[in-house]
Amino acid sequence: MSTHSTRTGLLLAVAALLFFLCPLFVSRYTIFVLNLFAIYALVAIGLNLVMGYTGLISAGHAGFLAIGAYTTAILSTSMGWMSPLVILPIAGVLTGLIGFALGIPILRLKGFYIAMVTLAFGVVVAEVVLQWSSLTHGDDGYKVPRAVLGGFIFDSDVKLFFLIQPITIAMTLIARNIVRTRAGRAFKAIRQSEVASETMGIDLAKYKTAAFAVSAFYTGIAGGLFAYAVGHISPDSFSMSVSIDFIAMIVIGGMGSILGSIIGAVILTGIQHALSELPEVQTLIFGIALIVFMIFLPKGIGGKIPDLMQSILRRNRNH
Amino acid sequence: MLLQVIVNGIATGCIYSLMALGLTLIYKSTEHVNFAQGEMSMVSGFVAFTFFQMLGFSIAFSLFMCLVSSIILGLLMERLLVRPAMRAPHFNVFIITLGASIVMQSGAGLIWTYDQFPFPSPFPGKALSLGLIRIDGVSLGIMGTTALLMVGLYLFFKHSKTGTAMRAVSQSQNAALLMGISVKRSFALTWAISGFISGVAAVLIAPVIFLSTRMGLVVINGFAAAILGGWGSIPGAVLGGIALGILENVAPYYFPSQIRNIIPFAVLVGVLILKPTGIMGEETKRRV
Repeated sequence: MSTHSTRTGLLLAVAALLFFLCPLFVSRYTIFVLNLFAIYALVAIGLNLVMGYTGLISAGHAGFLAIGAYTTAILSTSMGWMSPLVILPIAGVLTGLIGFALGIPILRLKGFYIAMVTLAFGVVVAEVVLQWSSLTHGDDGYKVPRAVLGGFIFDSDVKLFFLIQPITIAMTLIARNIVRTRAGRAFKAIRQSEVASETMGIDLAKYKTAAFAVSAFYTGIAGGLFAYAVGHISPDSFSMSVSIDFIAMIVIGGMGSILGSIIGAVILTGIQHALSELPEVQTLIFGIALIVFMIFLPKGIGGKIPDLMQSILRRNRNH
Repeated sequence: MLLQVIVNGIATGCIYSLMALGLTLIYKSTEHVNFAQGEMSMVSGFVAFTFFQMLGFSIAFSLFMCLVSSIILGLLMERLLVRPAMRAPHFNVFIITLGASIVMQSGAGLIWTYDQFPFPSPFPGKALSLGLIRIDGVSLGIMGTTALLMVGLYLFFKHSKTGTAMRAVSQSQNAALLMGISVKRSFALTWAISGFISGVAAVLIAPVIFLSTRMGLVVINGFAAAILGGWGSIPGAVLGGIALGILENVAPYYFPSQIRNIIPFAVLVGVLILKPTGIMGEETKRRV
C-alpha cells in the first residue's frame, strides 16, 4: 500500500511539474483558456459545495463572481500598492460574508424557494453593478489594473498562469479536505435528509450558512482572478445565464464531486471557447446536456469515475 | 391618474396571473416546478407567427394553432422530460425544466432569430372611457380573457368528473390510484392544461411586448406572482399576479424608472424573507 501511495505521489509531482512547464510549449491563447479553466473550476467547486454536497440550489452564483471581481478591480485601482495576495483574500472574505448573510434568510426556506431567492440575488447584484455607475462605471465596464506583487507585474497570460494555477490547486486541495471532515459529512447528511441530520445533532443553521459562506468565498476568489485574467469586466459578464452555465458545469461534471467540478468546468469552458462564434449552438448544447444528464446520469461524469476505477482495479486483481 | 396606472397594472398583472396559474397547477398536482413555463408561451407564440407570417394563414387560424401547439408542447414536456424522471428528486426535475427552457430559447433563436416581431392582437384597439379612466381594447381583452379562463378552470375542476379526479390525485396519489384514477393520465392532463394556459398567455402578451425569444423571461414574474400570492394556492396565484402588475406600474411613479426591472426580484426576495407563505399560502407541515 505504501509503495502504491508513493508511486501515486511521484506521478502527481511529475504531472504538476509538466503542467507548470506547459507555458513553454503552448500558445498564449491556450494559456489564457487554461487560466479560465482554473477560474471556472474554482466557481464550480464553490457551487458544488452548496448545491452538490449540501443540496441547496443556487441559481445566482454569477452574483458572487461579480462581487469578487468588482471588489478586486476597485481595490486594485484605489489601492494599487496592495498585492493580489491581500486583495484576493479581501474579495473572497467580503463575498463570503455576503454569502453568509444570504444564507440566513435561506434557513427558513426549502428546495425551489432557495433557487428563486438566489436567482433573484444574482440578478439584483448585476442590476446594482449596472446602476451604481459612480463606483462600477456601469455599462461601460471597468478596466482592471494589472496585479502587482512586490514590483512584479502580472501583465501577460503566462505570468497570470503562475498566480491563478497555484491558487486554484491549493483551494482545490482544501475543498477536498473540507468535504472529508466533519463539516463535509454534515453537508452530505443535510442533502440526504434535513430531518434525519437534525436528529443526529447536526446544527442545520450553522452548516447551511457555512456552506453558503464557503461557497461564496470560493466564487469571490474566482471572481478576483477572473477580473485579472480578462482585464475588463462589465455587468454583462455576470448575467443570469452565467449562473445557469455554472449549474450546467456541476450537473455535467458531477454533483457532490470535487474532481467532477473541475471536469465540468473544463468541458463547458472548452465548449464555450470552441463555439465562441455560435453562442446559440453553445446554449443549445448546454440545455440538452442538462436534460440528458439529469435523466440518464444524474451524478454526472464525476459520479461515474469511482465505478470506473473500481472496475479497473477489479480487472487488475483478476489478472 | 394613479387610478389609470392601477388599471393598466391590472392588465399586466393578468398575464402574470396566467403564468403563475400554469406554474401552480403543475406544482399542485405533481409537486414539480416548471421553469420552462414562459418558454412554452414563447414557442407557441412563434408557432402562430410562422402560420400567419411565413405560411400566410389567417390570424384567427394562427392563434388557434398557437393554442393547439401549446397543449402539444405541454404534453411533450410531460412525456419526454418529466415522466422519465418521475421517481427522481424534485431537484432533478427542476434542473430538467431549466434545461428545457434553455433549449427552447436557443432553439427558437436558431429558427426564428433573436429579433423582435410585431404580433397582432385579437382585440380591437378602440379605447373605452369610464369617467376619468380609459381602458384600451387590448387591456380589456386581456382582463376579459383571463377572467373567462379562470371561471372555465374553476368549473372544470369543481364540477367535471375529470377535474374532480385531478384534484383527488393532487391530494393523494395513492388514494386516487386505489379509486381507479389513472395518475399518469392525470399528470399528462395537468401539463396539457398548463400548456394551454401558456398558449393563452402568449396570445395576450405578445401583442403588448412584441414577440421575441426574450418573452419567456416572463416566467420570473410568474414565479414572483405565485410566491407573492402564496406558492401552491390557485387564488393566490391570481391575486399575486394582479398585485405584482399593479406594483410594477405604480413603483416607477414614486421611484426612478429603472426600478421596474428589479420589482419581480425584489418581490421574490422580500416575500421569501419576510413571509414565505405569501398572501394566501398555508404553512406546509413537514412529513418525516
